[in-house]
Amino acid sequence: MKAPAIQAQALRVARGGREVIPGLDLTVPAGCWTSIVGPNGAGKTTLLQALACLLPSQGRVLWQGREASRLSARERARQVAWLGQGEGGGEDLCAHDLVMLARLPHQAWLASPSATDLVAVQDAMRLTGSWEWRERSLGQLSGGERQRVLLARALAVQAPVLMMDEPLAHVDPPHQADWLALVRTHVRTGGTALTVLHELNLALQADTMLILQQGRVMHQGACADPATHRALERVFEQRIAVHAVGAHWVALPVPAADPG
Amino acid sequence: MAERVWRGWAMRLVLLALTGAGASHAVTLTDDRGARLTLTAPPQRIVSLLPSLTETVCALGACERLVAVDTHSNWPQAVRALPAVGGMDDAQVESILALRPDLVLAATSTRALARLESLGLKVLALEPRTLEDFRRVVGQLDRALGTSGGPALLQGVDAELAAAATALTSAQRGTRVYFEVSSAPYAASETSFIGQLLARVGAANVVPGALGPFPKLNPEFIVRADPQVVMISDRTSGDLSARPGWSGLRALREGRVCRFTPAQSDVLVRPGPRMAEGARLMVACIQGRIPAGRS
Amino acid sequence: MSARGTVTAALALTVASLLLVMLGLCVGSAGWEPLTFAHESASAIVWEIRLPRTLGAWLAGALLALAGAVAQGLFRNPLADPYLLGSATGASLGVAVFLVGLGLWPGLAVGWALRWGMTGAAFVGAMGAVLITVALARGVQHTLRLLLAGVIVGMVLGALAALVMFHVPEVMRALQSFMLGTTAFIGWEAVHLMALGLALTGLVAWGLGRNLDALSLGESTAASLGVALGPVRMALVVTLALATGIAVAQVGLIAFIGLVAPHLVRSFARPTHRGLLPLSAATGGVLLLSADVIARWALAPQELPVGALTAVLGGGYLLWLMHRRSW
Repeated sequence: MKAPAIQAQALRVARGGREVIPGLDLTVPAGCWTSIVGPNGAGKTTLLQALACLLPSQGRVLWQGREASRLSARERARQVAWLGQGEGGGEDLCAHDLVMLARLPHQAWLASPSATDLVAVQDAMRLTGSWEWRERSLGQLSGGERQRVLLARALAVQAPVLMMDEPLAHVDPPHQADWLALVRTHVRTGGTALTVLHELNLALQADTMLILQQGRVMHQGACADPATHRALERVFEQRIAVHAVGAHWVALPVPAADPG
Repeated sequence: MAERVWRGWAMRLVLLALTGAGASHAVTLTDDRGARLTLTAPPQRIVSLLPSLTETVCALGACERLVAVDTHSNWPQAVRALPAVGGMDDAQVESILALRPDLVLAATSTRALARLESLGLKVLALEPRTLEDFRRVVGQLDRALGTSGGPALLQGVDAELAAAATALTSAQRGTRVYFEVSSAPYAASETSFIGQLLARVGAANVVPGALGPFPKLNPEFIVRADPQVVMISDRTSGDLSARPGWSGLRALREGRVCRFTPAQSDVLVRPGPRMAEGARLMVACIQGRIPAGRS
Repeated sequence: MSARGTVTAALALTVASLLLVMLGLCVGSAGWEPLTFAHESASAIVWEIRLPRTLGAWLAGALLALAGAVAQGLFRNPLADPYLLGSATGASLGVAVFLVGLGLWPGLAVGWALRWGMTGAAFVGAMGAVLITVALARGVQHTLRLLLAGVIVGMVLGALAALVMFHVPEVMRALQSFMLGTTAFIGWEAVHLMALGLALTGLVAWGLGRNLDALSLGESTAASLGVALGPVRMALVVTLALATGIAVAQVGLIAFIGLVAPHLVRSFARPTHRGLLPLSAATGGVLLLSADVIARWALAPQELPVGALTAVLGGGYLLWLMHRRSW
């Protein structure tokens, strides 16, 4: 049994004077894809950032059994690839240079990109379908195209753990399918994925689901498990219903009762 | 035999010493910064960067030795033909160097001082601000230039000042004067050079010295002080009666406002050899012989 | 990989710099005046006056443009300029205090105090202002707080300088001439100092170039890539302050160079910071040197204040850029 990819023990995070996460224990299993869902304000982004050690927190965060805060920044960067929500910028860089930044944790301080780096960048860009516009600057791309470049950047780190916060903003359905394939491949080759998604249909395609409400874990279980579906319906106050469609599960909003 | 040879040598040595002493005119001066400057011969190519120094040099009879002056120097008429090489803030270093001067006269606050000295020029920094300063500067320039007109010049100026001092009648003595230097309003107090001249001619200054030489005043102060005479430079002031409360001033009502022309203002503000003329201008103003212009 | 654009730009800037230096040697107090060393003082004029101030103008422009590129990368704001942290008004205050001291103790105008008094006061003022800004923002952790503190410090120090000018109005004119900017007082020592400063700050900034790129992706992403945010930001702030302070101390307050140079570079190449920083420096050097040559030539022997000229030229360029983009 592999060591869990990420563990949190008695995790507490305060933001702006308010305790967003008032004490939480959780285990993210290695080698599978876990999606984090919950209503607005549940603290999903905060939790993800705390697990990635991008926020000051109290309690312990363990990566593969080791305390994450004891690792150097470079080691941490090599273990976890992070894709944040709405983190724009880099408008003036051309796409290729931007994805190349992902190789920072692997490069010596003043070294120029090596052959390995170039191959990693090309692979990542081809996987996300952004290789054709590698010479264009981000400012010239559409929202979806930009997001695919940023995804490529996360992939190019080649870290065992992928943490993504709303990675599918502005991405159209064909490329959402590509992204799904990507994550599945990553997991199949031994990696771990941890995503925050508000598209429940896509979240239900993960292996495990973690349901968060007001900074507490309401349920953690397999996405195929009916208990998970019931917990999901409960947390959204029965405004959604989970249905089976072919081999997958979808969550559909329940229309309000007709008054007439 | 040996004694004759020895005496010959002694004679030669004495002659050498005498001619050497006569030829060497090495003068060591201390300027207003405390820096020491040694001149081995009277300078023949002089650049002056301060109008009062230009006028003093000419008054000492060394006018033909000036090769360049600053942009504001305009007296005597001869210096207007000389090239103007900037002033306190914008001295043209290259132009000055190209003229190969052997002495540069500047104010202590001239910005190019360091640059000129680092280029190997001899700079004498003198900045006369009071009557006593002027006396000292005349003495130093006299020594530097190798002229001897200093004492005569000072005597002449003193005599003229004394004459101006007696020009006012006893009724006119103690006339309360307000001298405005620039519109803001900045006034000349008792401790400024202008204030000293006013005191010499026997007028009273409404602006006390405790406020500094050129204080920026609240216009209300002048209305309260109610001077009998207002002296102003035509360059900087506007319509005086437009200032709130001023139309009630005694000086404006009685028409005792003197607007000095730029040429007259130059004489009044420079602590130079024409200061007696400045004193006479003040007397003329108090006696009502300076036109009021628009007011 | 717009490497081709970058290399072309570098070549063009080198050629432009050399041409402008030669031009600068021929423009003097009589306008266009290629001196032929016929008389003795000609050699002194060219080697001791024109060459150092020409090189000094290029170096000062390079320092300001480097500082501008660092500021824009650090604050992730295309409108950032090197004076954001209060260094401009700090330098003015330093010079104002020095001028007052000079008036009170004329003995200050001698020896090293005369040589380095004004530039030293400007430098100390600029660095002091940045120090106060960083202290006010309680460290460099929060970029927004740093920016706000910079604005506050700038305003307060500007007000203090105005108070000094009010109290001792004689310094007003001298302070004004300092603030308008000029290369007229640059000698060889100043050139050596600025060259050393450029080498130092340039190397540090270039070494941090990849970190600046990572910062442009956002602070969380940069941290996730292993960038040590705190130390990197501090190093960048120090580099920014030093480069600006050294330039301002020698030439006064020159506007626009730091703001415009990185944008100019981006209009003809799209390099990462490792390319952007040296190219910006070279562009800044060319810009300020051009303005300086024009300032010396246009109304010779009078000199236009070079800071006013760069503002007009820089503003004109930005207007043209906006006009072009709107089509």
